[in-house]
Amino acid sequence: MDKIFAWLDRNLIPFMTRLSEQRHLKAVRDGIISTIPLIIVGSFFLIIAFPPVPALAALVKPYTAQILLPFRLTMGLMALYAAHSIGYHLARSYKLDGVAGGILALAAFLLTSLPVAVEDKGLALLMENLGGGGMFVAIIMAIFAVEILRFAKEKKITIRMPEGVPDSVARSFEALVPAGIIIPVVWAVRHLAGFDIQHAVTQLFTPLVTAGNTMAGVLAPIILISLLWATGIHGDSVVGTVARPMWLVLLDQNIAAAAAGQPPPNIGPEPFFQWFVFIGGSGATIGLVCLMLFSKSAYLRGVGKASFLPGVCNINEPIIFGAPIMLNPLLFVPFLAGPVLMGVITWLAMNFGLVAKPFILVPWTLPAPIGAYLTTGGDWRAIVLVAVNATVATAIYYPFFKAYERKLLKESAQEDSQ
Amino acid sequence: MKILLVCSGGMSTAIIVKAIEQQAAKTGRDLTVKSVGSGEFADTVKGGWDIALVAPQVRHRLAEFQAAAAEAGVPVALIPPQGYSPLGGAIILAEIDKILG
Repeated sequence: MDKIFAWLDRNLIPFMTRLSEQRHLKAVRDGIISTIPLIIVGSFFLIIAFPPVPALAALVKPYTAQILLPFRLTMGLMALYAAHSIGYHLARSYKLDGVAGGILALAAFLLTSLPVAVEDKGLALLMENLGGGGMFVAIIMAIFAVEILRFAKEKKITIRMPEGVPDSVARSFEALVPAGIIIPVVWAVRHLAGFDIQHAVTQLFTPLVTAGNTMAGVLAPIILISLLWATGIHGDSVVGTVARPMWLVLLDQNIAAAAAGQPPPNIGPEPFFQWFVFIGGSGATIGLVCLMLFSKSAYLRGVGKASFLPGVCNINEPIIFGAPIMLNPLLFVPFLAGPVLMGVITWLAMNFGLVAKPFILVPWTLPAPIGAYLTTGGDWRAIVLVAVNATVATAIYYPFFKAYERKLLKESAQEDSQ
Repeated sequence: MKILLVCSGGMSTAIIVKAIEQQAAKTGRDLTVKSVGSGEFADTVKGGWDIALVAPQVRHRLAEFQAAAAEAGVPVALIPPQGYSPLGGAIILAEIDKILG
């Protein structure tokens, strides 16, 4: 068992760490995270527009279009916000002007869309490319724009303002040359050469998004997150850096279906893990916390008591470092096996339509049954699934917890007798 | 003494803030403790802290935190995993004393 931890420490952790610390991936992570408040609030308008209670649903039906407006202009324009925000964060990481990075990224992204003529209204940009579907394009264009900004700055191809010009004015001119490169380049590729960047990128990433929906596609993040946490590294933030763009595309497709009154097609967006697998936090530790509350070991009981409320809110660092689970061979097995089994159960339940697929992003600190109910648009069976999964996890923890408890009791008895 | 804690989202460190404050109250020490998420660290660390402590689950980003803290002249240390629990206040305070001498 120690060999496993040593192997993880030597191989997996440094690799995943480098990946999550990679400058562009980090900017993508931070950029997308700053759009999450909009996605959470925006997607709640979906629940208001399609409430789970039939009587309410009939009541709001005439106003559905108006109620959906905030959703369409937040979640529905997700890639637009992300492009700006990724550009901002990437520019800042190079110590360049964040606002310049943001607007250049936004322009590069928007230029990949062709406005269409609408009778009597003039030109219109189609929203379909500006939502989750355009996320990968937004990422690529933001990186492209900021790299040009950096290139211009490094090669000192800038228009210099004379001394005495205010800083803010001088800075805005810094973006002039990069804009003069970015805009014609994207225009030439998209409009002159007729290369559909949106379509090509979507095609390129389709296999990835499809894979995210398969059983293997949901188990892989579960295993990686659990392995990282088992050595005490924040697994979700590391794995999320790479997986979140894909999760958001899956979520966007589900939301689009729900907004059209169709059942969501995808199993594997982030709420799958949040509400059905990592109940009480990574490793599905809520059951372990409950076992610890009634432990014969005073130490475990103390940690259990202190970890209970945070655990209900899916914060489980107290138990990971307190029990500890980290680098603990006895608790490592259920910490990994529980979530894997829960992932299999949840995937099967959703695949066979026993439980609705998740489509609403809910703040992650809510207790799991509430989060599961909300994310499935109000499916009571989601609460049953949470209960089943939590029971399964607790059952898997039980024998290992008992063995660990015996070990601690024996150790403290030895200390007392000395 | 002013202590700044950083973790991923500033959530779990909030629990540790309480643990340190409780321990400090027991021993009659005067402390200010604040927790932030990794995104706010670079800006917050400029606010005149005596020490910045990094939660073990974000230790893979230590170099990044160290760089930001170095600019502000604040010493940085990792919180030992055993101390990162609601009962770990004493361990963390002992660690701080060891570092600051």
